[in-house]
Amino acid sequence: MKLMRRLAYRTFMFAVTLGLIVALWELYKATGPQDGGLLFGVRVLPRANDTAMPHVSTMLSRYGRPEVRGSDKKIWVVVLSGAWFSLRLSLVGFFLGTTIGIGLAILMARFTTVRRGLLPYLVMSQTVPLIALAPLVVSWGGKLEIGSFVWPRWLSASILGTFLAFFPVAVGTLRGLTSSPAAAVELMSSYAASWRQTLFKLRFPAAVPFLVPALKLGASGAVVGVVVAEISTGLKGGIGRLIIEYAREATGDPAKVFTAVFGAAALGLTMSGLVALFDLYLMRNRPKETST
Amino acid sequence: MSDLANLNAVEVTGVSKIFNEGKANQVDALLDVNLTIAPGEFVSLIGPSGCGKSTLLRLIANLLEPTQGEISVNGKTAAQARLDQDYGMAFQQAGLFDWRTVGKNIELPLELKGWNKKKRAARVAEMLDLVKLQDFGRMYPWQLSGGMQQRVAIARALAAHPPLLLMDEPFGALDEMTREYMQGELLRICAETSTTVVFVTHSIPEAVYLSNRVVVMSPRPGRILQVISVNLGSKRSELTRAADGFFRSITSVREALRGTHAQHVASTAIRGAEDR
Repeated sequence: MKLMRRLAYRTFMFAVTLGLIVALWELYKATGPQDGGLLFGVRVLPRANDTAMPHVSTMLSRYGRPEVRGSDKKIWVVVLSGAWFSLRLSLVGFFLGTTIGIGLAILMARFTTVRRGLLPYLVMSQTVPLIALAPLVVSWGGKLEIGSFVWPRWLSASILGTFLAFFPVAVGTLRGLTSSPAAAVELMSSYAASWRQTLFKLRFPAAVPFLVPALKLGASGAVVGVVVAEISTGLKGGIGRLIIEYAREATGDPAKVFTAVFGAAALGLTMSGLVALFDLYLMRNRPKETST
Repeated sequence: MSDLANLNAVEVTGVSKIFNEGKANQVDALLDVNLTIAPGEFVSLIGPSGCGKSTLLRLIANLLEPTQGEISVNGKTAAQARLDQDYGMAFQQAGLFDWRTVGKNIELPLELKGWNKKKRAARVAEMLDLVKLQDFGRMYPWQLSGGMQQRVAIARALAAHPPLLLMDEPFGALDEMTREYMQGELLRICAETSTTVVFVTHSIPEAVYLSNRVVVMSPRPGRILQVISVNLGSKRSELTRAADGFFRSITSVREALRGTHAQHVASTAIRGAEDR
């Protein structure tokens, strides 16, 4: 019952926040300068006209109309299937990223030399611009031949999701694995427990509270990676592609691009929702102070 | 195992422990410590902060290696005794695993030994009985009071039926009433299981009430000043706490500690360091 109440509370707060954002949007649209504004001589205030800031109601009603004039395909169907496509790629990327991240964290927790040697490179890897990496991954993948395995184009997008997802998972898990209280570690060595036993019976369970926020970051990283990869490699079928296509029509049909942007946001929310469910499951028997 | 009774439970010979030897932060924790503990004995280590009593306990447990000297447990090297799980250990923080039920916590050492499920379940039931927590096996540690948690920790330490129990201020975080109750329980448990105990404490009455012998240690570098035998018989009860012998023993432990007191104040004023 407590769980239901917490869920209800969270949903309520989410709705309230959403309402506030909508209200702010409409307030600015009603009062802001139509052609943008200068603030201390700098053009910072966005235009409040219908092209730049369509009404929320316009955006929502756009979902009910066809994607292109004359088509019988409603745009919400297109956005939904695009989001579904990207969700699957993100899940693959997230899964690979989590596996690699946890694997690296175990290695780094086990061997100090690995940690010293590897960690700076992991940090550095995250400074490489994704846009530059995307075409490389596509061309490497295209050249890859392992037996009868053919590298599908979508896998490149998932790999870029992996690239953004593994890092927070690796760092968070590493912190978790090294966070076990000294007394607990002493206890395990008083039982002459092997490193592997200590890992599975103490370090991993003790790392769970650290793992969950890391997974949340990883999940949103996977989505960003996939969406950016879709845009920069021109992969069809996903929400990223829809965003870039609809953005081209921004002058004629300004609400259209927002339908895809919200689709991407929903995608990210779905991913972090999945992690949140996982969190509730993992932390179900823990003292409530540590699970927030 | 048949000749276990003839072997000393613990034998500490000429042991010194120096941390960070040769560095600027060198600490001489223990100096030439000799101590022999017979099977079934209850021995307390008492002394001011920084006297190395916890260090001595960890040396016996082979969680630390002595800089000099030798330690044997049940006639084996300390390292071998640890590998054979010849001792159980309990700390000031019960140190139970949050994610395991009480029963599962007690099972931990048995799992590590590779016991099968049936055997483990039987032993857990036995241990829960021993510490009088029969109905709490399925609860989680954080749902229990501090005293109950500490009883679970004792059950865990004794689950594999080790002949030796090492305890580092296990009741230090409990309130006085719970503490006295736990002392009584510990004596009962040790009598039922004929376990040898090495017990680190700050409390003089606690040391006297529990022990056959109280080992009084000096501040850094830790040395054994005096070993005081407590002759209160093997059956102790709440009445023991009012007995003349109890107060006499308390006085002699206190005087042995007092001898070190002036020295202690001077040394902590300079170092102010902890005993670990």
